[in-house]
Amino acid sequence: MASSTWRQSLFAPARAPLWSALFAILCALTICFIAILATGKDAVNGYADLLQGALGGARPLGESALKGSVLVLTGLSVTVAFTVGLFNIGAEGQFIWGALAAAVVGNALPLPAFLAIPAALGAAALAGGLWALIPAWLKTARGVHEVISTILLNWVAIDLVNGWLVSGPLSVATGSADVSVAGTAAIRDEAFLPRLFAQSGSRLDLGLPIALAIAALVWLFLTRTRRGFEWRCVGAGPDAARAQGIPNARCIAEAMFLSGALAGVAGALIILGTEHRYPGVFRTGYGFDGIAVALVGGVTAPGAVLAGFFFGALRAGSTRLQLVGIHPSFAELIQGLAVLLVAAPRIFAPLLARLRGRASVSATAGVGASSEVGGAT
Amino acid sequence: MSPLAQTLLDALHALLEFAPPLVLAALGGVLSEKSGVVNIGLEGMMRFGAFFAAAVAIGTGNPWLGLVAGALAGATSAALHALLSLRYRADQVVSGIALNLVAMSLVTFLLEAIFGSAGVSPPSPQLPRIFGHSALTWLAVVLPLAMHWIFTRTALGLRIRAVGEHPRAAATAGVSVLKLRALCVIGSGALAGLGGATLSIGILGQFDVRMPAGQGFMALAAMIFGKWTPLGAAAACVFFALAEVVQRSLSLTFHAADLHLEGLFLALPYALTLLLLALSRGRTRAPAADGVPYDPEGR
Repeated sequence: MASSTWRQSLFAPARAPLWSALFAILCALTICFIAILATGKDAVNGYADLLQGALGGARPLGESALKGSVLVLTGLSVTVAFTVGLFNIGAEGQFIWGALAAAVVGNALPLPAFLAIPAALGAAALAGGLWALIPAWLKTARGVHEVISTILLNWVAIDLVNGWLVSGPLSVATGSADVSVAGTAAIRDEAFLPRLFAQSGSRLDLGLPIALAIAALVWLFLTRTRRGFEWRCVGAGPDAARAQGIPNARCIAEAMFLSGALAGVAGALIILGTEHRYPGVFRTGYGFDGIAVALVGGVTAPGAVLAGFFFGALRAGSTRLQLVGIHPSFAELIQGLAVLLVAAPRIFAPLLARLRGRASVSATAGVGASSEVGGAT
Repeated sequence: MSPLAQTLLDALHALLEFAPPLVLAALGGVLSEKSGVVNIGLEGMMRFGAFFAAAVAIGTGNPWLGLVAGALAGATSAALHALLSLRYRADQVVSGIALNLVAMSLVTFLLEAIFGSAGVSPPSPQLPRIFGHSALTWLAVVLPLAMHWIFTRTALGLRIRAVGEHPRAAATAGVSVLKLRALCVIGSGALAGLGGATLSIGILGQFDVRMPAGQGFMALAAMIFGKWTPLGAAAACVFFALAEVVQRSLSLTFHAADLHLEGLFLALPYALTLLLLALSRGRTRAPAADGVPYDPEGR
């Protein structure tokens, strides 16, 4: 598991991230269209329903933005870890701990709303961040590859929280025989995220501005501060960074903490916004989807925002697909295929070169095109 | 029979149920990474193998055809990984993760499309049992030894190790690096597919939508813990399977289900794996060119 080289190849696609992502999504949508046709279902109506469920009116738009906000945060989580060269597959586990912390604090502390919401969000960030410090430490002190450790920690988190804490010690149903109502006690009304357009029937809540503000802060931090620069140095070339006196281990620990905190806050948004308790059955997959958001978003903060809202709309729309008998996991299929295609930007290189070639007639962008094609050094 | 002997026999029996899927997938991981290609996609390849083995076994009524289909499904998905990471020089970790994402959703989609179910497939014909276990179990017993022999005693094994350690030198000696790597990745997928088939048509007798439930990643951990060698990886798998057997019997002894403690026991094998990986630092050694894309025209 030599990891020094894939960092470089990860930063390579950033040359033309928008085009790669658009091509990848377009190809994925086409492949899935054919897949639906092949199963004998009505693909045209399916896609129309998808669009209707994602963008058709205030309520669907609200659902799309709601899911998008959460995905923006989990996508940012994976993106932040990437800046120091770590592939955080563990956003799901960090998301779960964040959700649980928000549910517990939101229930336990009798505070007014302007304190209760920040307290729950802070607890979620702390819980997710601390869980992410485990793989950071395993990586820097024990040399365990973070992909393996974060995956295993996901299973540990899922089993511990869903299989034990929520159905046992933290369950409202403790002592009673009824296991089906397992889940934590409901959070206090003060900790509910206020709905922005409640009169229109949309469930869109304060989570959207929170996610956007966090995204802007993360972008400013990564691109405009000294520490953000140091993190990117560690990601781009750990040895060179060390030679310049940038402590790798500290940067990795800090970045993983922020990464976990972002995933934790994402979990809190779901609990404070729509669930209002940690439910007995809670397998959302938002953390796993964060990987797709980050990669399709070209591993940048603005890219994560765009990709997050796109996949959020896809997720919201796909619930409608059940009407034509298509499993809602379909949205994940489009996501997976898109990642598969952005993983190999060279597939699109000839196409991109041609597009660039045309553009360079009017502008002097020919340099980029030649490096794209001749980048096989 | 004395109670102790009976307990030991039961444990051995359980071990021969739990270890084979892991062993087959871990050997797949060894094959791929020995040749220098990281294979995080084992989980997805197992999933494809498990599903298509069950689907074809149900469709044809013949479990042996299911077995072939499982291996082919794993190999086909691995061919995609080989294409992306070797031909298009995609990042091998990202390509593997993407394959897992696609396997997760595509198989769920197909389960719904073909069997109209979101949970399990109908019961499938099972492989006949030889001495109480399927042929795949016995394959998993023999294969580590065979692979050890190939890697240490044959020219093919030497070439595979060479392209994983120093591809440029191997190319100078006349080995076609990319072709050999592609073959190893595809073989790796076939093995992972067989591991998946063991789960569906070997043990359970149907496909479950949760398969393989992280076993591909456990296999990957076993490969690392086994220092990228067939025998070491197989031994690690046996150890993980033993942990699973102990976890299950403890869970039963302590009435975990009644006390809502199940999750605590379920988390044990994963936590134990992590602990072992943390302790084995410094003694593990990956092939030198593992994960490094090879460019035939490069310097």
